[in-house]
Amino acid sequence: MIGRARRRGPLAGESRWAWVFLAPTLLGLAVLSAGPIVAALGISLTKWDLLTPPKFVGLDNFFALVGDHRFLVALRNTAFYTATSVPLGLVLGLGLALVLNQRLRGISWIRTAYFLPVVTSTVAISLVWSWIYSPDHGPLNGVLGFFGLPAQKWISDPFWAMPAIVIMSVWQGLGTTVIIFLAGLQGIPEEYYDAASVDGAGPRARFRHVTLPLLTPSIFFTGILALIDSFLVFDQVYVLARPGKPFDATVTLVYTIYENGFQNFKMGYAAAGAWVLFIIVAALAAIYFRLQNRWVHYQ
Amino acid sequence: MIRNQAIRAMAALAMTAALVAACGGSTGSPPASASTPATGGSPSTPAATASTAASPSVATGYSGPEATIEYSIWGDPTELKNQQAIVDAFHAAEPKITVKVTVSDWDTYWAKLQTGLAGGAAPDVFAMDGPLFPDYAGRDVLLDLSPYIQAEGYDLSQLNELAVKDFTTADGRQLGLPRDLNVIALFYNKTLFDAAGEPYPDDTWDWAKLVEVGKKLTKDTNGDGKVDQWGLYTETTDMENYWSSLVWQNGGDILAPDGKSIVLDTPAATGGLQFLQDLIWKEKVVPEPALFAETGDAFEQGKAAMEVNGSWLVATDEAANLEFGIAPLPKGPAGRATSVNPTGAVVSKSSKSPDAAWAFVKYLASPEAQQKIMALKASLPVNTAVLTGPYAASFDGAAVLAGALDYAHLKPSFKGYDEFATTLQGELDEHVFNAPDETAAEAIAKVKDQLNQLLNQ
Repeated sequence: MIGRARRRGPLAGESRWAWVFLAPTLLGLAVLSAGPIVAALGISLTKWDLLTPPKFVGLDNFFALVGDHRFLVALRNTAFYTATSVPLGLVLGLGLALVLNQRLRGISWIRTAYFLPVVTSTVAISLVWSWIYSPDHGPLNGVLGFFGLPAQKWISDPFWAMPAIVIMSVWQGLGTTVIIFLAGLQGIPEEYYDAASVDGAGPRARFRHVTLPLLTPSIFFTGILALIDSFLVFDQVYVLARPGKPFDATVTLVYTIYENGFQNFKMGYAAAGAWVLFIIVAALAAIYFRLQNRWVHYQ
Repeated sequence: MIRNQAIRAMAALAMTAALVAACGGSTGSPPASASTPATGGSPSTPAATASTAASPSVATGYSGPEATIEYSIWGDPTELKNQQAIVDAFHAAEPKITVKVTVSDWDTYWAKLQTGLAGGAAPDVFAMDGPLFPDYAGRDVLLDLSPYIQAEGYDLSQLNELAVKDFTTADGRQLGLPRDLNVIALFYNKTLFDAAGEPYPDDTWDWAKLVEVGKKLTKDTNGDGKVDQWGLYTETTDMENYWSSLVWQNGGDILAPDGKSIVLDTPAATGGLQFLQDLIWKEKVVPEPALFAETGDAFEQGKAAMEVNGSWLVATDEAANLEFGIAPLPKGPAGRATSVNPTGAVVSKSSKSPDAAWAFVKYLASPEAQQKIMALKASLPVNTAVLTGPYAASFDGAAVLAGALDYAHLKPSFKGYDEFATTLQGELDEHVFNAPDETAAEAIAKVKDQLNQLLNQ
């Protein structure tokens, strides 16, 4: 993929330097990511409780996953989470970025405010939201009551539990999306808009034919981040499902992996789950990249 | 362009890998503890041992070299402070041994412990929950303390029998000593009882009386059409808080004596579970679990007149400035029963200072340390000299808690407890307690095969 032909001239040294500068990252990835990923594959072929020597069981763990009710429910819940939180986050993020892309007094303070949830710990956020969702004293039910709508049990209600988690996560992740979109918006040269205006384009046409196409790289980038991140949803359910444990309505893939590895003494089985998750995420990412030349425009 | 795309694809895959791995990192391996490695203060070679082996300390009987050991517990910063006080007293009695206490929250504690044991960096001494003991005892990571007990003629009968039993293996090895224990009892709010002119609960109460008084104390105090004071509060998410006691009070049990199958599907057992569902959904004297899932204990907030829960409440209810009393759990059709769950201290098999670790474990169960545990009111002491002596008189209701041990059943304890409990409790929470979709009998019938399979894996 990367040309190995020795080049002469000014660029020869450059590629060497590129590798030098890349080395720390590559080394980190190899040791801290590739190593564990390969090790997990090995572990997934064993029955291992962490404390006594592992036993090789071939693909048994993977076969067992297919018939594991909790794993399948977790897969369904995670898919739901991804399918809702990613598009919702992108659309809201784009809308908010357009609103925040104004020259107003104090705009930088407002932008900062939207970024705050991103740098706040998910555990703290989940605790606040568990209060918001509280059926008895929660402000959300208070607001619903004000408009004459029936109170809901949110996290304790199998129907609302996952949507409630999606809403919280979208709110939390909005800052990241907005900041990337804002950067994208501000990178669009003013001349394009001027040219479009001269050609008679109104605000809607300018958005449709200038802003949106030139923002596709940003949308693509936030999309892949959100996609990967959404499959790894864990903290939110881990905190919101207390006391007790996430049940069928809220259990997610990473939670079952954690549960099998560290509560059920099934590290091999947990590693198999992690590999299934890895394959799903890698496959989706690959498809996503394949599709990019259909809709992503680089300037 | 093609090359760019390939590079981007590679970057994305690397990013995917990094994120998956990063996630594995955050959930899989919690940050390494900041404690120092558990090595002895001086090398524990035979020569060193011989040269420093002067006369054994009177207080602990320890005659080894200077040593530093790590002692891990779950809990919060308060718990750390409390245990630190005990550790300091130990160090004063045995200056040759320094104990470093490390604390983590419950979930992190077990994940950290497992990775520590797997990586050979486990703490020397660590706290052990009764029900989870078999998971560790059965995996050969705990030091057998029996040789010490025999060599020193340590008298196990000075400790509560049930609590000792929880750390004894089926083949009679003692892989830990109990440190403290908790029992379930009925707590009542004197202020709310007085306001209603109701006599306080006592040992004559049975299920019917609980419902009767519970109904009288369940009220809409501000007239908005919604109940805001409940007769009884309890937690439904674990068998220990109430439902295992109800099963036993109804003449049922959870597992068959051989531990290979559940007997939770017998009418006696499901009757106990059903009573809890009825308290919530039929009699409506217990708030439905969703109402207080986020805000915590209704009794502590003064919104429930009674609570069935563990003896750990004494410390929190006192801190909440409640005027409360303690009564035995109301009798069921088959009589009186409650649940006891001991916490123990165990020694890692890979400890480099097993003698020092044993000296410390023994100290934790000694009357001196037990008096300190007693004073915290967060659990009961296990040393009978303290339990039946000063403890029973240490606060109003302590005698009820100590007396409950006479009719208490040990919380079930077996290999694979956690997975069993998650499966069982998931069904009960979702379909029996959180919403009355199914009767207790229907729910148990649904998960019976799965539970039996887990008991035999």
